[in-house]
Amino acid sequence: MKFSSVTKISAALLMAMSLTACVDDGEDGAAGQAGAAGVNGTNGVSSFVTRDDVLKTNANIAYAAYADALISAQDLRDAVNELVAAPSEVTMTAAKQAWLAAREPYGQTEVYRFREGPIDALKADGTFEDGEGPEGKINAWPLGEAIIDYVEPVVDGDSGPESPANALADNIIANITEFPVINAETLTSTFEFGEDERNVTTGYHAIEFLLWGQDLNQDFAGAGPRDASGGQRPVSDYFTTPGSCTSGQMAADEQICQRRGQYLIAATELLIADLTPVVNAWAPGAGEHYQAFIAGGNVSLAKMLEGMGRLSFGELAGERINIALTTDSQEDEHSCFSDNTHRDIFLNAKGVQNTYNASYVRINGEVIEGASIHDLLVKEGHHELANELRGALESTMAAAAVIDTKAKTGTPFDVLIQQGIDQPNVVAVIDALVEQTDVIEQVIDALGVSTNDLRQDTEEDI
Amino acid sequence: MKKRINTLSLAVCLNLFLVACGGSSGGGKTIEPTEPVTEPPTPTPIVDHSGLTPLVADEISEQEYLAGGDATLFVANKDAFSTRPQAIADNFQHDGFFTSGDHLFRTPHSDIGPLLNTGTCQGCHENDGRGVVPKTPLDPMLSMLVKIGDDTGAADPVYGDQIQPFAEQSFTSADFDSGLSLHNGSVNGTELYGEAFPFVEYQMIEGKYPDGNGYQLRKPIYKVRDLSFGPFKADIHFSPRVAPQAFGVGLLAEIPAENILKLADENDANGDGISGRASMVTEAVSGQQKLGRFAYKAQNPTVLQQTAGAYNGDIGISTSVFSGEPCTEQQIACQMIAEQESKVGTEVDFTDRELALVEFYTRVLGVPARRGYDADNNLWQDDIKAGRQLFFASNCVGCHTPRHVTGIAPGSVLGQLTLTGLQDNAEPIAMLSEQTIFPYTDLLLHDMGGSCQVTRETIDQQVCHDDSEQCLYVQRCEGLADGLVQGDASGSEWKTPALWGLGLVQTVNPESTFLHDGRARTIEEAILWHGGEAQASKEAFMALSLTERQQLLAFLGSL
Repeated sequence: MKFSSVTKISAALLMAMSLTACVDDGEDGAAGQAGAAGVNGTNGVSSFVTRDDVLKTNANIAYAAYADALISAQDLRDAVNELVAAPSEVTMTAAKQAWLAAREPYGQTEVYRFREGPIDALKADGTFEDGEGPEGKINAWPLGEAIIDYVEPVVDGDSGPESPANALADNIIANITEFPVINAETLTSTFEFGEDERNVTTGYHAIEFLLWGQDLNQDFAGAGPRDASGGQRPVSDYFTTPGSCTSGQMAADEQICQRRGQYLIAATELLIADLTPVVNAWAPGAGEHYQAFIAGGNVSLAKMLEGMGRLSFGELAGERINIALTTDSQEDEHSCFSDNTHRDIFLNAKGVQNTYNASYVRINGEVIEGASIHDLLVKEGHHELANELRGALESTMAAAAVIDTKAKTGTPFDVLIQQGIDQPNVVAVIDALVEQTDVIEQVIDALGVSTNDLRQDTEEDI
Repeated sequence: MKKRINTLSLAVCLNLFLVACGGSSGGGKTIEPTEPVTEPPTPTPIVDHSGLTPLVADEISEQEYLAGGDATLFVANKDAFSTRPQAIADNFQHDGFFTSGDHLFRTPHSDIGPLLNTGTCQGCHENDGRGVVPKTPLDPMLSMLVKIGDDTGAADPVYGDQIQPFAEQSFTSADFDSGLSLHNGSVNGTELYGEAFPFVEYQMIEGKYPDGNGYQLRKPIYKVRDLSFGPFKADIHFSPRVAPQAFGVGLLAEIPAENILKLADENDANGDGISGRASMVTEAVSGQQKLGRFAYKAQNPTVLQQTAGAYNGDIGISTSVFSGEPCTEQQIACQMIAEQESKVGTEVDFTDRELALVEFYTRVLGVPARRGYDADNNLWQDDIKAGRQLFFASNCVGCHTPRHVTGIAPGSVLGQLTLTGLQDNAEPIAMLSEQTIFPYTDLLLHDMGGSCQVTRETIDQQVCHDDSEQCLYVQRCEGLADGLVQGDASGSEWKTPALWGLGLVQTVNPESTFLHDGRARTIEEAILWHGGEAQASKEAFMALSLTERQQLLAFLGSL
């Protein structure tokens, strides 16, 4: 059945010239009036979509999504400054809202991971080395939050580092002797202290912990029955007038509250500093990675699909959903302090769909869209496969919407996972993601791109 | 999956060819290349234990820098032992299982203990590399442990076969010291403390090379204080062991046992002073006798058993392979706490699915490629090349067999992983199958010489004979011996450890040291500790000139 694409395009051109007023519904083919000379239509997809077009749209969306993440991180910084300057229920709530809003675009950028992009590979000196990018500093989890601030002695899961050998004496906020000043440098120097990946002192989740505190449920005991709320950090944790400062249920010296505020501000400043180079690298035209990516042909197309597949299966279905489900530990859920994990799941899945459909809705409502992998598949004659992946992604979004809705109506993800592997709604999301990964693999084969093209590192001297 | 081509140059040509015709590697449009013959027919029919042309001192085969075959990594930084090979990253399912396995390897799990050495795999295998010797005699052993047994190797009736210095509260409460051992603290059966506090002191030994250059070695003296459950058995022996690096075991597991047995020379028939013996052990899941390959005395036959054994003995996590809790019948306080875990009775702490994920992760961890090689021109650094020749000439290869091949690597006996469960008929793992690898071990037991003596002494080395708090257990050894009989291995026999990754050990973890108990601060010191069957090779090393010794160390550093 394979025409070469040249034949198809020229035939389509002929068709377009001769049948300008006629809409080809794609069902003519050899069965149509032209008999064997007839061609399959393209279901309204432009025949002029090229692989390079798909890459450009993907890069444009990357820029838009990371730019939105940066814009909303700046809003978060402003809200945090308000909270620290004038702590009240109102400013605390506003800061929390700003954090939740900042997660919306960021969650949709995660499909740009696992493809040697700036988020995973851009080093501080501007060079690229896979695995050395700012992703960990921005979004690392789960936290051993005991390194940052006070924790309850017993929690649901583990609040410490991977190994007690990597624990700091006391926590950064309380340890005035060792950390007389709290600034960006303090946070950076303690990040992954002792090579311990739970010693996360920066990024979204450190900020989340400082805004919400540990999710201890109604009885303030980590091991008690879970409720529908996130963490219970009181706003008095930021009161700096003498005698009013707390650390949770305990009174504390006002210096502690001051330091907590300094920590929160430093963490938001760092988040902005870490996001900015990623945005710049994707800047249309000028961005170094933007240029390299759109010129990358099949290798870049393979990267798009690799990011989709690896996020779908290993990261989202495996690490972010299944591990939390099987360990039934709040500390293993992505946004455990704020109980916002349902959004993480939904938005990560949405990012994969965005990449396939080449469409993204910006935080200001503007829509960025263009040539998509879907169009490319159809153009290259894989109508059924294109439809199959579209359907698989929609099934995933439908399953993720159930988790999202349940959380919004009083049953957050940490309550769902208490049922373990028998929880049908969570398992449905995992199954849907597994299914879509299978189809993504078929698409990689169908488009004839292979991640093997990425295997050029064996040529290098080491 | 594209078939891996053995010769790089061909792969390059092929890539160019594929690119030139815009083809794919899986679309069936291109002609699948046939596997080139890697071993040219040789006039002499002599083959080694793997059926390959024997390696020689002055000729380096082209694949030699790909130490782990398809599982080779090109990472030479702190992540060198904890990275997924490209073949795993390229497969969405394998990539996902690796990610989940990694998470479990690192993350503290509920229901650890009640008695334990550490809370996670990562706790001992730092960065998936080696553990660390405590900095001072006052620091507890966090990433090394002490095995114990009587004259026959049997476990202590109260303490079992391993000292667990911590009770679980060290890892589950904010007070790390609360779970340390306390003299007779748990004898009453109601309060649980760690079993005992082993610690190490070093005595410096001076030595000289024949060329007059001096060296210094750390001779360890092991002491045990604060026994929570009363005294040890009278004829107790202590075997301190630092956690080894975790990568590469998936390949070692697939070397056909008959190839290893061909290397055994129990009665030294060839008269080279080296008499390797196979360690035959019982496989826990099948009850069959199998070749032991893992742990310092080759007491474990499979990656699964090694993993489940470590979860059980070191972390206190029960699995279907070893379903008990780490309490002996006489440790009432331990059993009492075990009954309070969330999973008790027939329900194990760690499901087969979780165990299979960690097993998969450790099996497929990548092996770092050799450094000092220019693949474009097939050129090795001169000192490494010279060092390799000396390694052969000194008969280090008598035990550290450079090359092996693997058979078909079956899927897990636990079943085929999926994200939500295990299915029957696990698929083989292609990346580990039919590989040519360069681990530098024969996996056999060798007598490394030396002997040990256990005494009872006070902290200021006065002999004592009571079970008071002041009367410690002290073990002093000559040479590498630990005095502990374990399975087929005597108190002076050790399994040859693999040498791949050796030069990156201190890159992965700068605090790491060498040999079974970390006494050697450098690779050079580790060589100097060799004795027994390795005496001749060590003397050959010592007789080399300073330049030659540096060349040999450069070679070892490139592994």
